[in-house]
Amino acid sequence: MSNANSSESYLLLVEFVHKHLDFHDAELQSILDMHGIVVGTDCHFLPLPNSDTDTTADGDRGSFQNHSTTSKSKSNSNKRPFRILSFAWKSIGSKYAVCDEDPDSDAASPTRNGGSNDTVNLITALARCTLVRSVMELWGAGPSIDDCATSIRMGSSLRRHREGRHLRRRNIGNTKQNDSTPIKPYPERTWKITIHTLGSTYTRQEQNEMRSKFSFLQFPGPVQMKHPDDEYLFIREVELDAMGGAVYPRHCKGDDGKTKKELIPENDARPPLACYFGRVLGNGTLGRNWRGSNRLFRYSLKKRTYLGPTSMDSELSLIMTNLAQVRKGSFAFDPFVGTGSILLAAALRGARAFGTDIDLRVLRGRSSTENIVSNFKQYDLPPPELVRSDNSIYQRHFRKHLPLFDAIVTDPPYGIRAGARKSGSRRGDGEARPIAEEFRYDHVAQTRPYAVSDVMADLLNVAAMTLVMGGRLTYVIPSMLDFDAEEDLPRHDCLRVVSVCYQPLQTELGRRTVTMEKVKDYDERRREEYLEGTWVNGPQSAEKVANIRERLMEAARKKPGYEEKAAWRKQKRKETKEAKKRAKLEGVGRVAVDSECRHANDDDGRD
Amino acid sequence: MRLLTHNFLRSNVKGTENGYPLNIEVTTINCEDSPLDKSFLLNLLPKVNYPALRTAVQQISQHCVPPLKEIPEQLDVSDKESNQNLDHETLKNLHRVLFDVYLIEGWLVCPDTGRKFPVKDGIPNMILHEDEI
Repeated sequence: MSNANSSESYLLLVEFVHKHLDFHDAELQSILDMHGIVVGTDCHFLPLPNSDTDTTADGDRGSFQNHSTTSKSKSNSNKRPFRILSFAWKSIGSKYAVCDEDPDSDAASPTRNGGSNDTVNLITALARCTLVRSVMELWGAGPSIDDCATSIRMGSSLRRHREGRHLRRRNIGNTKQNDSTPIKPYPERTWKITIHTLGSTYTRQEQNEMRSKFSFLQFPGPVQMKHPDDEYLFIREVELDAMGGAVYPRHCKGDDGKTKKELIPENDARPPLACYFGRVLGNGTLGRNWRGSNRLFRYSLKKRTYLGPTSMDSELSLIMTNLAQVRKGSFAFDPFVGTGSILLAAALRGARAFGTDIDLRVLRGRSSTENIVSNFKQYDLPPPELVRSDNSIYQRHFRKHLPLFDAIVTDPPYGIRAGARKSGSRRGDGEARPIAEEFRYDHVAQTRPYAVSDVMADLLNVAAMTLVMGGRLTYVIPSMLDFDAEEDLPRHDCLRVVSVCYQPLQTELGRRTVTMEKVKDYDERRREEYLEGTWVNGPQSAEKVANIRERLMEAARKKPGYEEKAAWRKQKRKETKEAKKRAKLEGVGRVAVDSECRHANDDDGRD
Repeated sequence: MRLLTHNFLRSNVKGTENGYPLNIEVTTINCEDSPLDKSFLLNLLPKVNYPALRTAVQQISQHCVPPLKEIPEQLDVSDKESNQNLDHETLKNLHRVLFDVYLIEGWLVCPDTGRKFPVKDGIPNMILHEDEI
């Protein structure tokens, strides 16, 4: 750790989970920013040991790549899952606290205007990052275990720890905790050292050899493997591939694909990429445990009463709320609310939720017990406000009002799973037959197709109009391989792009989660100008998002084996339909719900 | 639909400009108490059209059990300073009318054209028909 003046810094090691790789830095940056922690001033990113192999982790400058191009998805596989954050030691205990109390408490709930004067609990702040696997107080790091041990000896973390610094209760101004639970004094505290070897397995004996390198720490209390008072962690990092496995695995795989016990000597002899040692923070409640699950499982789509084919998986919804900086007391808006999955995530962050949609069926749900409101009730949240309206004519449904929303989080319909519609006649000339008064109230309004390029233009304009200054819009946009984030993203004069995160879905198709911030006041007189300026490359860029469904089907048709697959799928659909019919006759109505659940995007619980 | 939402909705059938505020016809109404969120309320007040809110309260008040407490006849909500100085009782009453009253079934009627927008299951249907665009 050559760049840190260790006696004056407090270091944290953040480990990310191995998914949504392109979101790691954007989410972390957004959370830090939300808590008023300015990278470069309040804290710094330090390079990892051996960081010349990875340009994305070499300090503040390289840490945040905001615009990903299509080639980024390849370089992500070399991205390391660690970040080292350095804070000035004197800020710990004054401006920042590191407290292991329940990370769910909002002891550090930041206010929008200029951050709070209260102490920010770093653990509470970092616990909000969905993609953080663990956070530890970093005592030593180096390219080998011995270097790591030496760096601990040379630093002051051990001395501070022995002085019991971490045991003093930090007085966080607005905490609800009382100080009645006694803290065990340092000499009595039970402890253990966990060994975390990325992508490789080591025997118990080998792990104990690693532990012995740290016996100089001489923790006074007894060792306790289950729920110790203090947990220390040794991490041995190696290069990982895109799937999260070791590039140079230690053991070879047998014919059945399972790992055999035989060592591959050349791989075994390879030095690690880095070794880290420190104290685990968050008391086992922060981040995820080693099995990859975390408290997020509570919000899994599988448990929702009301789902649809377009429900956003809860993990991405929560990440989006982090990118949009949704916090307690925010007013969050989803103009394409659908089944309300993203709005639910916003409400879970403490926001007041407002959603609109043009599709009445999806707003009202399947029944009085299966709808958006019942989903909210399931999590004890106040019901959201829902309005059936058309976002393409927002200003005709809503009076002129001052900027209202702190965050707009949405997944607009881009015609792949659900087509976009807007009000108006289906007739080519736009003219409509007048409706007689007596038929008015039973009339089902006609809607017509709504081009994706217009969906995006209207979305950005409504955002510019209705967001407070500094408020954020986070939306998802599908992109095929020819999409160039620099040129093809929709733009608006009042909004600035904060981050773009790419998520691959299929070979041909991915989606980008784009976050924009309002930086300029909206001027109604420039409305036409704003709308026309949405697509910088004009019709070309708009085209790239417009016909994705057709292009995907085209590409699929060209692939070999398409005919057989199509026939098989047709057969399957027929069978399912008949099974449903039979089940209905037998009075078992729930079969219908399950087959729709299959289509919902949901990969919770799997790391 | 809460009165908060009603405060922002308008009718713009074939471009009529006098479609605000909408008149409320109550069929079913519900009240559910929620705790006062002072900072959110103070943040929101400058954006609320107060006369429209007062009219709305008058239109629904008789349907509420228990009846809604009175909110001040006039209030200049645009002044953040004076909002801060509102007494607790007034804030509670404002909170109640904005957040705790739900119109489940009813109609929102355009004061200009008389066009009625239905409210069912608490969701107002504001979609303009194709001959109203």
